[in-house]
Amino acid sequence: MIEVNNLRKTFDSVNALDGIGFTARDGEVTGLIGPNGAGKTTALRIIYTVMRPDSGYAKVDGFDTITGRLEVQRRIGVLPDSRGLYPRLTAREHIRYYGRLHGMNGKPLEHRIDNLIETLAITDFADRRAKGFSKGQARKVAMARALVHEPRNLLLDEPTNGLDIASCRAVHALIRDIRDRGRCVLFCSHIMAEVAAISDRIVIITQGRVAAQGTPEELSRQTGEDDLEEMFLAVTGGGATGW
Amino acid sequence: MWQQIFVVFAKEVMDNGRDLRSLLVALIYPLLGPILLGLIIGMVARVVVSEPQRQVGFYIHGAEHAPQLTSFLHDRGITLLPPPADPEEAVRNGEVNTVLVIPEDFSSRFQAQRTATIKVIANSSRLPGLLALNRMAVILGEFNRHIWSQRLAERGIDRNVLQPLKIKSINVISGAHIADVLLFMVPPLFIFNLFMGGVYLAIDTTSGERERGSLETLLINPIERWGLMLGKFLAALLFTAMAVTVQLLAFKFIFQMVGEEQFSFAHSLDILAVAGAFIIALPLMMMAVGIQFIIATLTRSFKEAQTYLGLLPLVPAIPGMVMVFSPVRTDEWLMAIPTFSQTLLMGQLIRGEPVAFTNILISMSSTTFIALVLIALVARLYEREKLIFGG
Repeated sequence: MIEVNNLRKTFDSVNALDGIGFTARDGEVTGLIGPNGAGKTTALRIIYTVMRPDSGYAKVDGFDTITGRLEVQRRIGVLPDSRGLYPRLTAREHIRYYGRLHGMNGKPLEHRIDNLIETLAITDFADRRAKGFSKGQARKVAMARALVHEPRNLLLDEPTNGLDIASCRAVHALIRDIRDRGRCVLFCSHIMAEVAAISDRIVIITQGRVAAQGTPEELSRQTGEDDLEEMFLAVTGGGATGW
Repeated sequence: MWQQIFVVFAKEVMDNGRDLRSLLVALIYPLLGPILLGLIIGMVARVVVSEPQRQVGFYIHGAEHAPQLTSFLHDRGITLLPPPADPEEAVRNGEVNTVLVIPEDFSSRFQAQRTATIKVIANSSRLPGLLALNRMAVILGEFNRHIWSQRLAERGIDRNVLQPLKIKSINVISGAHIADVLLFMVPPLFIFNLFMGGVYLAIDTTSGERERGSLETLLINPIERWGLMLGKFLAALLFTAMAVTVQLLAFKFIFQMVGEEQFSFAHSLDILAVAGAFIIALPLMMMAVGIQFIIATLTRSFKEAQTYLGLLPLVPAIPGMVMVFSPVRTDEWLMAIPTFSQTLLMGQLIRGEPVAFTNILISMSSTTFIALVLIALVARLYEREKLIFGG
């Protein structure tokens, strides 16, 4: 479970986050949506411990991201905004490196790697070096290394960005599968259809604040709109933002 | 924690072991200095060793004007050679090393027991020219003294009356001086290489990782940032140590190969000196990698880091380069200065001079201290939020 409370963060006098708060529960997919520059990535970066909030806090399974950094890191799997691979390492070696950093090794680790390679359909390029991987292939490897330690919480920053339709569907299926095993999934996206398709709970962010949150039904009741895109425009105040 | 640090270390070593550029810098570049020095020694050896054995000949212009001088030279076993058409041009071009020019009035002035002037045309910018000039000056000096004592004897004066001082020079340097000057080139080449060996790793594992976009993901793993840094640091240190070892062994090999007889290097740098040089250099390697990491962490891109770090090895090598021409005594306070102390100690080791234990102690402890401060600084830089963006 991920709790975010009253997060504030300023970069060179620009308010990236202006008191954001929400909760992402276990067994649910929570989607953060908002226009470009709304603060989605900054919020995720604070939760996955690479940034510190100016005030407020974020907790993962009850551990604070500042005071309990390592505990948080053990409990999260992350597909961050920048998810580059090492060109001279094979897909398998990427997954193994992260597994070892999580303290795994030996047979259990190799078994887990084989498992992920099969689930994510990496088999064909598992032992090829990452240089020259397609976007889809690279994304699968990045996903696999985020999942190697079977994290209780999964954070995904624009997980399908740049992928073709088939790959997008595969990612969505994977997310649902992870949720169905009782894990907490928090992802952010600016693609409305994607959020609508897989989220159990939606948090709409604009200008560093939460504009609205709830299940799709609750949001529909609040705004009187059925279509998510219309809801979005209603709570963010029209089409002026985003450019 | 140490297990994770080893995981990072092992990954970086494997990753960079597959990189041609990292390997080139660690294994091939270190050979360039020894090869260069080997070539220079080879060329110098040909001149220094063969010249005295060769039959000495003087090119003399106007030899017929000075029968006394020519017969003196002849008695000394020197062959008289016909001068080139344009003596000055020939010397300038290096066709001949020296030409002795005797004026027409030499004989008449000589007979009249007046001072006669002769000219020596030489080019001292070339080593063979310098040696030939020196040789000619010595023999002409001998002729001078020979005539001088003759004339004094004719007047019944003991020549010792006019010679209050007899100068005998004793050269404290064993072996040829030129060999020694060449050995002075070793420390700056050594220092340069030391600052070069791990540079590619330092960039690749920090600014490179950031530019590839793999740093942010890496930082999310449950490992302290200083641990992450230390793993990368140790990998860069290993590559630096590899470069240093390769170069030391190459120097040893080259010294064994080149030079001959009195101009031999075979006894410079025995295996004990190689080990000593490595140990003395160890703190400096840590310091070098520390500086590289600071720069690579602060710069925003691979290219920017490369620009700064490409120049870095030159700076610490400068004291050594200066010392090639004006050697410095090994005072204790100098031993507290990193790169300077290693240059001095390395020089002593390579010339086979005794190395004071206290000097080694001061050098190693002061450089280690500075290295540790730098490592602590890098660890702090790694804690910064800005790390994922650079700057």
